[in-house]
Amino acid sequence: MEDKDEDAVRGTSVEPTQVETDLSDETQDFRLLSHLNLYARNADQGHPLQANANTHIRSSLTDTSSPGLPKRGEKDFEPNPTEHQADVLSKSRQAMHDALAHPRLHNLNSRVIAYYAPDGPAPPPGIDIEDPARFGYKGVGVNVHPDSCVYVPNPKGQYFKTTGQSDRWNRVWLLPEEALFLIERGSLDIRWPIEMTAAPDDESPEELSIPMSLQAAYACFMGRAGLTLERYTVYTGLKRTGYALARAPGWDDSAQVEGLKDQSQECASQRPLKRGAGLAGILEQIFSWAQDPLSTRSTAAGPVVGCGMHRSYNNIYRQLAMIPWYDPSLAIERDPLDTCPPFRVVFHAYRPSTPIKKSAWPAPDFRIAVVNTRETASIPTLAQLGALLESTPLDPPSGEKMKRLVYMRLRHGYRNVVMAVVDQGIVSYLRISDAAFGKEKLHETQSASMGNKRNGNFRGKKR
Amino acid sequence: MPIPRTSLISNSYLNMADANVTIVAQASPEADPTRVNPRPARAPRPPRPNYRLIHRFPLPVNAHPVPPVIPHNPLSILSAALSYLSFLISRPSQEIHSAYFDPATSSIHVTDEKAIRALWEMGFFGKGSLSRSEPSWLEREKKRRGLLGGNTSEEATRRRREERRALKLERARSEKLLIDERLKLEAAARESGPVAPSVSESTDDTAITIEKFSVKKAMEAKYQESRLRRSQNGASVPPADSPESAQGKSVRFSSVVEQKEATSTSTAPLQGSSVTDADELDIEDILENQEHLQISNEEAFFLVYGLGVLRVFDRDQTTVIPTSTLLPLLRRNSYFPPHAEASELNPDDPFILSYVVYHHFRSLGWVVRSGVKFGTDYLLYNRGPVFSHAEFALIIIPSYNHAYWSETEERRKYVTSKQSRSWWWLHCVNRVQAQVKKSLVICYVEVPPPTGPSDDIAGLLSQYQIREFLLRRWIPNRTRD
Repeated sequence: MEDKDEDAVRGTSVEPTQVETDLSDETQDFRLLSHLNLYARNADQGHPLQANANTHIRSSLTDTSSPGLPKRGEKDFEPNPTEHQADVLSKSRQAMHDALAHPRLHNLNSRVIAYYAPDGPAPPPGIDIEDPARFGYKGVGVNVHPDSCVYVPNPKGQYFKTTGQSDRWNRVWLLPEEALFLIERGSLDIRWPIEMTAAPDDESPEELSIPMSLQAAYACFMGRAGLTLERYTVYTGLKRTGYALARAPGWDDSAQVEGLKDQSQECASQRPLKRGAGLAGILEQIFSWAQDPLSTRSTAAGPVVGCGMHRSYNNIYRQLAMIPWYDPSLAIERDPLDTCPPFRVVFHAYRPSTPIKKSAWPAPDFRIAVVNTRETASIPTLAQLGALLESTPLDPPSGEKMKRLVYMRLRHGYRNVVMAVVDQGIVSYLRISDAAFGKEKLHETQSASMGNKRNGNFRGKKR
Repeated sequence: MPIPRTSLISNSYLNMADANVTIVAQASPEADPTRVNPRPARAPRPPRPNYRLIHRFPLPVNAHPVPPVIPHNPLSILSAALSYLSFLISRPSQEIHSAYFDPATSSIHVTDEKAIRALWEMGFFGKGSLSRSEPSWLEREKKRRGLLGGNTSEEATRRRREERRALKLERARSEKLLIDERLKLEAAARESGPVAPSVSESTDDTAITIEKFSVKKAMEAKYQESRLRRSQNGASVPPADSPESAQGKSVRFSSVVEQKEATSTSTAPLQGSSVTDADELDIEDILENQEHLQISNEEAFFLVYGLGVLRVFDRDQTTVIPTSTLLPLLRRNSYFPPHAEASELNPDDPFILSYVVYHHFRSLGWVVRSGVKFGTDYLLYNRGPVFSHAEFALIIIPSYNHAYWSETEERRKYVTSKQSRSWWWLHCVNRVQAQVKKSLVICYVEVPPPTGPSDDIAGLLSQYQIREFLLRRWIPNRTRD
């Protein structure tokens, strides 16, 4: 599944005009996979110690110098009676089965064992907390996310750079989605709690612990502490693409801002968002009257611009501006919990290049809300969407290019959020931004450059 | 097409590459011009009209700029004063166009030739009833009768579509040929029995390599060909395909298209020479413009109320409908069937919502036109459709945040039904816009609670508030680095 996506990425660097055709929408010709597998097998022979064929495919793909990627095949749009087509189909199918049947080996050296803690974070057995009163809940002294339910006593490997939290006994605690993701990709061996499976008088309980099956892991973790299948789909999808993810404060659907009523009322009264009327409007009217006394302007019955003499088109446009519009740069930032689930940021996503410190997560590159179309059948109303965007920080267009190009500025917007719309397992990501058209008086910038469409970030030739 | 050969590529893959190369070598040079020049220059078009000059006024309102006053230049002061004086003595009059409201179709028509030109050229209002957008029926008709040279956009589109369709037919034909050939081969292989499984293997490989007919390539080849033809015009050799190019997969054009081309090229100069000026005049007298300009109700109200350059008459074309009654009339007519005259106006009727949005974007300087061809409410053009493609496509969704709308259960139900749109609908609209390279804008209009009848239009309009969101597909693979 990797190659086509990689292709798409590479396509952007080579030919910007083709970018808009999204290759991930196509079904793929699995015969191409067999070429890849061949490559992976070759590499396997070179390094017999390497454990996972998957990582090989990945490395061969990300290595841009490898010229071995085959070109995409031709596409038949309808069945025809030739044996050739049947052959192609069966070969493709076989290639897929071969790829799936390829043995995935787990190296003993890289095995990571974890333990399931159904009751949440707890100190290691045998250690008593001296002063339980100092801590509020049962996760005393552990200092990790209370929803964590799996701990790794002996963490190693690259995955713990961005997942999990360490407690003071040097164990890494994993959240349900993190544990599920790792067990699913074969990087973690989760054991049932020893107390559940071993008699108390047994010696060396380590050896007697029972591994948890994938099915059991799904049963245990899915639905635990707000983890829905939709959220997990988004989590794994982005994780596999290379992003690092962390839960956002809005994870818990039931969480509300305390004293919500007062605050929202205050907000509403504080928001001077209406533009066009007000002092500026009055001044302008006086000004225009002084400048153009012959004007017979009447906004009540029209014509708005009057039948008089006009000095410039800019004046006409200014007189026409009378519809109030929302100015995102004046809005007050909301508490992330002052939103209406599911239109609430639940994940913070980080690009692979963003340096991450687990103790202090940096500001996220993307904020992601997850919506299940089968539960929320309608697209958000203005109140829901507005609240969602106001809960994100102001991110006005900046940079030399944005300053020059009106279209780019408008497309970027002042706040933005990514909404993952999950429909029965299919995820569509939408980037929603607050575009302030009212801030761009097009008539004043008529001569300025609009932004070269050909060279725009994702624009190609118009069809 | 040339594929880098490495040790990693399997054997069959090498075969494939080889076969590909041989096929390319077989093809006649003119059949594969894309190799020489990946983007052949198109046939030169007739020069475009000077749109900059034609559409130099953004609105059908005259503006008379005062000459700039430069303090240290007394002459400039003089000229400014002069211009003031001249305006005082004889005020330039503003042309007021007229249109009429047709209650049968709930639409507004402009029939006056001068008004049609003015409204189209200054601000791109309306659409020709028999044209795609600019009213060009008369011109097309004249051309059809051979009176004028040049092209209208509709003709260009039609010709392009015809060519495309012919090429697609050709593609289907060649694909069918390929399949037949392959079937024959397979049958032959079966007859020869289990003699050589390697034979079937090899046919397989060549089969993969047979180049498919590509419409895009064919179009490019065609342009190349026509250019070639023009360059060797003196020789006037008929551009018949050389026999060696007729080997199946090389690019050829169906006879239908070629015939058409031949007729079109031969008739044009002929008519140009034979038709005299007198004839032209004659036919022009007979030809009556049957087209009118249809302006959308929002455009009409904007021209009347916003700019004051239009008068809307009623059906009999006798009395002018005043602005104060035009608004309720258009609002009632935004439903089908139109609401009765006595009925109360809803604060969220389609007309007022779309007019608020229309007025807002017009006042910012955009040229707003209907987006119905892309499944949206509006398209936003910068300066106008003749200058550039629309960058933004807009959909309008009402919003009911005011406390009034959530007071009773009935109202809540009504509001929910008005606000709800399915995700599938949104994805559809979004994908269409991505396909035509436009950015989708969702424009929420905040609806106020109903108010009593009032003559203050500005007061009414300023109760609505607009908030725009830009929507775009986010593709994680592309934003990763």
